[in-house]
Amino acid sequence: MNERVQPVYLEEKLEEIRADGHLEYRSKSLPTWCPGCGYFSMVEGLTTALKRLEIDSKDTVVVSGIGCASRFPFFVNTYGFHTLHGRVLPVATGVKIGNDALTVVAVGGDGDAFAIGGGHIPHAARRNVNLTYLVFDNGIYGLTKGQTSPTSALGFKTSSTPYENRDAPLHPLMMLLSYGASWVGQAYAGRQHHLADMITQAVSHQGFSFLRVLSPCVTFDKTNNTYANLNTTVRDLPDDHDNSNLMAAMNQASRDDHPALGLYYKEDRETLEQVMKATASRSVKTGTGRADKQ
Amino acid sequence: MIKSNDTDIQIAICGSAGDGTIASGDIMKRAAAAMGFNVIAFDVYPPEIRGFGKCISRIRISSKQTYSLKQESDVLVSLNDSHAIPHAAEVRDFGVVIYDDNLVARVAEGGHISAHIDAAQIPYGFSIRQISEQATNSSRSRNVVILGCLAGLFDLSAENFHDIIAKKFATKAQSVIDDNTKAFDAGLKAGRTVFRLDDIKVRAGKIKSNGAEAVMMTGNGAVVRGFLESEIESYFGYPITPATSIMERLAVEMPPRGGKFLQTEDEISAIAATIGAAYTGSRAATATSGPGLALMAEMIGLGVMAEVPSVVVVSQRGGPSTGLPTKTEQSDLNLAVFGGSGDAQRIVLAPTNVEGCYRCAGMAFDIAEIYQTPVILLIDLYLSNRYETVVPADAGTYTPKPRPQINLEGGENYKRFEMTKNHISPRALPGQPGLMYTATGLEHNEQGRPNDDAHMDMSIKRHEKLKGAVHYPGLNVSKRFGDKGKVDVGILGWGSTFGEILETMYQAQAEGISCSAMKVVMLSPLPLQSIEDFFDDCREVLIPELNYEGQFAGLVCGALGRPVTRLSRATGSPMVVREILDEVRRLSGREPAPVQAVGAMGARS
Repeated sequence: MNERVQPVYLEEKLEEIRADGHLEYRSKSLPTWCPGCGYFSMVEGLTTALKRLEIDSKDTVVVSGIGCASRFPFFVNTYGFHTLHGRVLPVATGVKIGNDALTVVAVGGDGDAFAIGGGHIPHAARRNVNLTYLVFDNGIYGLTKGQTSPTSALGFKTSSTPYENRDAPLHPLMMLLSYGASWVGQAYAGRQHHLADMITQAVSHQGFSFLRVLSPCVTFDKTNNTYANLNTTVRDLPDDHDNSNLMAAMNQASRDDHPALGLYYKEDRETLEQVMKATASRSVKTGTGRADKQ
Repeated sequence: MIKSNDTDIQIAICGSAGDGTIASGDIMKRAAAAMGFNVIAFDVYPPEIRGFGKCISRIRISSKQTYSLKQESDVLVSLNDSHAIPHAAEVRDFGVVIYDDNLVARVAEGGHISAHIDAAQIPYGFSIRQISEQATNSSRSRNVVILGCLAGLFDLSAENFHDIIAKKFATKAQSVIDDNTKAFDAGLKAGRTVFRLDDIKVRAGKIKSNGAEAVMMTGNGAVVRGFLESEIESYFGYPITPATSIMERLAVEMPPRGGKFLQTEDEISAIAATIGAAYTGSRAATATSGPGLALMAEMIGLGVMAEVPSVVVVSQRGGPSTGLPTKTEQSDLNLAVFGGSGDAQRIVLAPTNVEGCYRCAGMAFDIAEIYQTPVILLIDLYLSNRYETVVPADAGTYTPKPRPQINLEGGENYKRFEMTKNHISPRALPGQPGLMYTATGLEHNEQGRPNDDAHMDMSIKRHEKLKGAVHYPGLNVSKRFGDKGKVDVGILGWGSTFGEILETMYQAQAEGISCSAMKVVMLSPLPLQSIEDFFDDCREVLIPELNYEGQFAGLVCGALGRPVTRLSRATGSPMVVREILDEVRRLSGREPAPVQAVGAMGARS
């Protein structure tokens, strides 16, 4: 960066950031991620989205599991719950049921989501819990220093696959579509404005929204999901993509070699909270048994 | 103590799965409770739903307070001779055996129960199948016919039976009620017309005065009632024997009260969602058994670390692994008290009877919220499934205590994990302005930010804050019964076994042995002072419990470093009073030490 341009650029940028107002959603703790990590754009994306939607930070809970991505709650100025490895969705479901006036955002990485936490995703999706699940997918375990993950590419050499990864990677978008998620989208950490737009849409969706964010790990992946590679392989969903058509969404989701960004699928369906309210009013009408009738 | 003119009879009904054995016992105990008797009842059934497994329903009906089932039954009713034959021996001398003496098929020699009745037992043969067929055109009412026989034989009020039959089948067609009533009446007629011995008699004049108020419930039903009265708001559960009925009952009871009920995909998500909901301030609970608790251990550690209140009911069954799903055991004490990683002390309450289940469940949410930590309610199959008559608490007893308000200027000064005098910090709930914080399973500083250096201070805080729990008002964390002051033998117990311990103690006292018993309800933190006082007063301390390793004895020995005698039994069945009594006699010096194969764990430690 040359000296002539720098001061002007910073001043302008800072002014723009302050004027935007989303800084109030940032906590005083600076992110602890490696410089260049794709996750920085996620903090920017979520804070921008919350500001746009005018959701009060006191009414927001960011829930996470374990991993690099799961440190996220500490870097935003909302209520947060940094929980256990793989358990972000059941905890987030409990938070939403405990107080459904809250906006609940679950975050985590690909290992937290698809390895240890894989069993919980179908159930949060099919119940249509009204929360947003952001998965920061970098295809590697970063916090434990570079082991293979369920979305690691075939042939990837990591510290746990020194002779190449031979386990076929999962297709997260196809999984979520078949699980019955009512909002499925994909974004890329290298396209920050689009990412903020997608997070905004996901958070405003009534029901379970799943956003996969392709994100490079600059420290432990020099070969696969790098900015250089992703910049050339990602594409936009075709203009004529019908996001109410599940099969069309499946078709697009199957092409992981050229991942498409955008909203794959969206449907309006009764949320878990609505189901519970309906059950409550039905139970009052039909009457109940007695507590001692055991 | 039961005096000779008191009513105290135990009826055992034995049949094959599908005979309606459990249903029959159910009507019997409800009718007895409606008559105002104290009832303790416990069913034994196989893990299979159908098939030919053995079912036994045992009901102890008494005009005085009793604490456990009796070792010997006064009456055995056989609905299936091949299952009932081994139980003929459990009938006391001059006790009654009721069976079908008019079989349609030939049975092999020795295949009929009449060949197994002792000379001192009194046989009553009825044409059970024939009476059923004549009354209802079906042999399926045999289980109700025998109730009629019992009522006739013992002069029990037919009105109460009619009433319970009508209630039990209220949701079925009228013809079902009519047929069952006809079957009962036919049995009643048969029971009234046989020759009766005077030995077994239910004296209607001895009905206890508060009978009308008492409600009969199981341990699980009592937990549900305690939860509802303390205004449970969220429940997350996964089916597992013997805790399932808590979930099933709450699924019915919670929605009309505006409560949130969810069957989760596994036990991990059940406790995770419980802690998630509790984090927002909701009164949240889950229930499971040992295998589920093993899965929940990590998340309970998060509840301890992040100081989130929650209530976990654990109904133990035989273990390890899948173990004995339909048999009782007290072998998850170590898991409940210590389970999980790190130094993760939590509160563990182990009620000793159905009433205790009700009272502990009623107080559990308040305790969890005051101490900001998980509370485990540790019961077992014997307590979960057995019926007892319970007098409900006054309305409002378990209404939630108001939450302390946080009076802070706002975000800048708020410390979620602030060091305070009593080590309990102000807890903000999502939605409260200016108090945003992140709860975490990482070690953290007062603000809740990850910080390894705070580990020692925070460990002190998390342990010290629980110390006051042993003085929680209204909760008998331990209680001594029997002789006061110095005694020869003290029996220390916990959980469902304490009923047998009390029965033993009263029998030992009757034999002139200087004896006392103490129950410990709070297993973590232990009420060490009162346990130590008990040890000081007892020349010998005996700890009977239903597990192989003597887990409670290990806990107490580890905490006090004092010698105890262990009576550890892993049989899948409740403790046997006679066995405890033999040990008490031996320790008191009354009888020479019997040679017993108790294994290494049964040795004095």
